[in-house]
Amino acid sequence: MLLPSFTYHRPGGLAEALAMLDGFGGQAKLLAGGTDLLVNMKHGKQAPAQLIDLDGLAELKASGSRGDALELGAGLKAAAIAGGLGGAAPQALAQGAGALGSPQVRNRASLGGNLVTARPAADMCVPLLALGARVALVSPAGERQVDLPEFFLGPGLTALHPSEVLTRVLLAKPRPGEGSGYGKLGLRKALEIPLVNVAAWLALEADGKTIKEARVALGAAAPTPMLSPGAAKALAGATAGDDAFAAAAFAAAADARPIDDHRGSAEYRRDMVAALTKRCLGQALAQARGN
Amino acid sequence: MSAHILKLKVNGREYQALVSANHTLAQVLRENLGLTGTKQGCQVGDCGSCTVLLDGEPVNSCLVLGVQAESREVLTIEGLAEGNKLHPLQDSFVRAGAIQCGFCSPGMILSAKALLERKPSPGLDDIRQGLAGNLCRCTGYQKIVEAVMQASHRMSGEASS
Repeated sequence: MLLPSFTYHRPGGLAEALAMLDGFGGQAKLLAGGTDLLVNMKHGKQAPAQLIDLDGLAELKASGSRGDALELGAGLKAAAIAGGLGGAAPQALAQGAGALGSPQVRNRASLGGNLVTARPAADMCVPLLALGARVALVSPAGERQVDLPEFFLGPGLTALHPSEVLTRVLLAKPRPGEGSGYGKLGLRKALEIPLVNVAAWLALEADGKTIKEARVALGAAAPTPMLSPGAAKALAGATAGDDAFAAAAFAAAADARPIDDHRGSAEYRRDMVAALTKRCLGQALAQARGN
Repeated sequence: MSAHILKLKVNGREYQALVSANHTLAQVLRENLGLTGTKQGCQVGDCGSCTVLLDGEPVNSCLVLGVQAESREVLTIEGLAEGNKLHPLQDSFVRAGAIQCGFCSPGMILSAKALLERKPSPGLDDIRQGLAGNLCRCTGYQKIVEAVMQASHRMSGEASS
């Protein structure tokens, strides 16, 4: 299975990459880890005339905190995020990155690539949605920041303009009293696209019992990764525990809009959304309580 | 279409090759450098038979462009034995009956090598997870897991003696 012909470019920095992208006017694709793009090219689904390789750009691989915000470079590999980034990565994101593909895929696949590929069940997209992340999109004209619910427009479709590069993911730094969790159901235990995946994030009030705020994100439940408004509403102000989590699971299943396909039925997916929602909230609560 | 002069280190030796941009690292290793120990199976990153270590980390060489290996270090299965002495992992694979048709073995052994470098005394689950990106259609995996376990015992024994 051979790759179609293209001209390869290795920019020395982000500014040069942006200038190239602009100059090629829609003829170029950005290459990050290549675990999606090169596969699509081999399958004949994409045949860009120009490839601009971002993989070597150190400025896209930095992670760090700025005030209360955590900034993750789009070039970070799934393997690095799965390793926790020295304790900086929120639990659900590290779990999602660790559930992606295989060890070989995680050593290549990038954070930014997972986001711009925008599959409805992508292992890092669903946790980032629950964590309230936004993305920085940079073009020669400057930078804009987009919240993830506005970034995902459809399967493989995002708000990214052809002249833009997704450079960073921004999210709130995890604080005491907060926790998150990720759950993935597949037909196999590795190298699998989820049948359903769910991520949950919650913050407790100072009493350690009442839920101040929560978000539940669902994958493979709609054309894009989606937040469940019903689950968030059921959890806010409730006492953390089985009753609240059951109500949230019921609401999440009601919000889900899954389809029947060769991988599973909509009815089964809806049931599994509920089961995984409960499980992820349990993980998030355990972390929020520090155990 | 572009062609590039690629310089890289494979199995400790410097190579230089003229490669087309659309040739993968797996193709460059096999066709330009004649290192046919790296196998090409699915060619889309699912089977792991083309696994090599790129700067010490296992990757599917079918999903890395040859030009992306510029100035980097690659370890292939040819780089493991020292003369006629097999690497403990290779020897354990032979002894444990972990090699049947042999097609997955180079990738399997390189994934196992990366695992043992990160985790010299892995548990069974660690081994299964470390090899999750390598498919074998012959053995049913059990003998492969046993071979990695045996190699880890032998290598940690050698390290302490």
